[in-house]
Amino acid sequence: MTPSTTLSWQVTLGNVLRRTAVLLFLIALGLYFSSESEQFLTERNLTNIAQQNAHVIIVTIGMTLTMLVGGIDLSVGSVAALGGAVSAGLIVREGLPIEAAVILTLAMGFGIGLTNGALVVFGKLPPFVATLSMMGVARGLTLLYTNGKPISGMGEAYTRWGRDRLSVPVVGDVPLPVIVALAVVLLALLLLTRTRFGLHIYAVGGHQETSRLAGVPVSRVQLLTYGISGMLAALAGMLLAARLYSAQPQMGVGLELDAIASSVLGGVSLFGGVGNVPGAVIGGLLIGVLGNGMNLLRVASYQQQMIQGIVLVVAVTVDMYTKRLERR
Amino acid sequence: MIGTQTLPRQFNWRPFFQKYGLLMSLLLLCLALSVASDRFLTSDNLLNVLRQSSINGIISIGMMMVILTRGIDLSVGSVLALSAVIGADMLKNEGMPVLQAIGICLLVGAAAGAVNGFLVSWVNIPPFIATLGMMTFARGAAKFYTDGQPITGLDSLGQGFRYLGTAEVGPIPMPIIVAGLVFLGGAVLLNHVPFGRFIFGLGNNEEAAYLSGLPVNRIKLFVYMAAGTLSALAGIILVGRLNSAQPTAGEMYEFDAIAAVVVGGTSFDGGEGTVMGTLIGVLIIGIINNGLNLLDVSAFYQDITKGAVIALALLLHRAIR
Repeated sequence: MTPSTTLSWQVTLGNVLRRTAVLLFLIALGLYFSSESEQFLTERNLTNIAQQNAHVIIVTIGMTLTMLVGGIDLSVGSVAALGGAVSAGLIVREGLPIEAAVILTLAMGFGIGLTNGALVVFGKLPPFVATLSMMGVARGLTLLYTNGKPISGMGEAYTRWGRDRLSVPVVGDVPLPVIVALAVVLLALLLLTRTRFGLHIYAVGGHQETSRLAGVPVSRVQLLTYGISGMLAALAGMLLAARLYSAQPQMGVGLELDAIASSVLGGVSLFGGVGNVPGAVIGGLLIGVLGNGMNLLRVASYQQQMIQGIVLVVAVTVDMYTKRLERR
Repeated sequence: MIGTQTLPRQFNWRPFFQKYGLLMSLLLLCLALSVASDRFLTSDNLLNVLRQSSINGIISIGMMMVILTRGIDLSVGSVLALSAVIGADMLKNEGMPVLQAIGICLLVGAAAGAVNGFLVSWVNIPPFIATLGMMTFARGAAKFYTDGQPITGLDSLGQGFRYLGTAEVGPIPMPIIVAGLVFLGGAVLLNHVPFGRFIFGLGNNEEAAYLSGLPVNRIKLFVYMAAGTLSALAGIILVGRLNSAQPTAGEMYEFDAIAAVVVGGTSFDGGEGTVMGTLIGVLIIGIINNGLNLLDVSAFYQDITKGAVIALALLLHRAIR
């Protein structure tokens, strides 16, 4: 990926269009569900999908960043749980104001992410193993901090971020978590397409050694992407805790797999350097729409799991083959 | 290191550590635990460690072969559950003879592995995604097949399952013997059979392996089928021990197996790793679990310790190299 292509909006749009396979898949799925269930294409249901998947989208953005530099972050689910628990604990037990609790929690997420990054960059551990260890450590810390029980009573100022709606002109009422997710998506888009740091991320993922020789601060770029991923995971955990009215020590189990599936469905390569934010969001929405539609059609949860597995493999296969055709 | 001065100067520590560092970590861990708890170094407890490690050990050999080809198999835990519930159902509700039920069970595992292998080799899907899909699918299928309920009461019918899970030959529990045979088979295959050497060749350089005429796709198919079959075998032992087949069995087993393989020195970059290393990796994970229990460490600390020890073991490994 050359600098000029990542920095131009047109090509970014082109990147979105190049993802037509998965986008068409999403649209076809939407059409199918709306023909089978009249509840699907209602404002209420669509808002629901967005609200229920806001935290997945946020984590997916962080995952996409780590995958772009050729890494992976398996700890996001545990860090989300820890973020929810610590923010709730700071408010309920320590009596901190919500702003302070949120900032401290985000800082903690960033710190955990940096630790992941340090294990990868300085410890030379494979990202899979470094973040797998962190997954265990963060989950254990969550259990320890909460003593295995949910923390609740964070107050209205906190829980409103999980469900309340903000009236936006033209669009209508938008849930607050969706607004947060949109803000994260927009910032990530700007970061990747408009900043030097974004360019560096693609460069490091494309070829680490070449980037180093070209003067890219490879270590710092990697450290920061893991840091951002950790911070976004903590943010997602707080939104989740707000939506559930309590911080559950077991929440976010399997979130990393959802985020990885979303990223990959959205065309982010597991080998780094390839992928973009709009694609990852489409991937996340695909998983959300699939779950929602199957619920509306009353597909039993066991079959839902089987179908999700098949859709993941089929969508990735279709996507790969369309790209291969395009290259010819 | 105090002893260094007394040894001849030309003694080179580096290759020594490279070769025996892992084994020394294991011994150090044992030493520390036998100091910390007088219950550790008893034959009962050591057999217990081995028995508890046998399931992870059997899965880890398959996982290692997959990782040697630069792949990964996230579906082992789900495949274990799916094959176990189908095998148990054949035994209990279809009245199938034990050997036949075991055969079906292994076949289910092999079939799931074959799908993984086909997707990875011929369809060319990244292993992470192909096996993530299988992980989700097989878990759903296991729950769908049993309607989410465990299949219990195999005692009267499933002597074969119970035998593999609980019987003892002399003082040695059957699961250890099965795991031992699997390790032996793995060592022979990987070190003494040409096909096993192909696995290393493929992992070292796929392009070169292809150009020198190795059946690249068939090798991949084989390693994923081996991983699936061994997961099913581990499932039979688990069912035998618990006397029930749970559709939720084996959750997170993939992570324990990956941890054991990687702690044992197998590289994610493929082509590098030994069966002995994997054995030591499995034992280290097993002994950590055992030690945490012996020392009455709260369950909350166990995740933390396990995560930290895995990271530390690998950091040490890297530092030595």
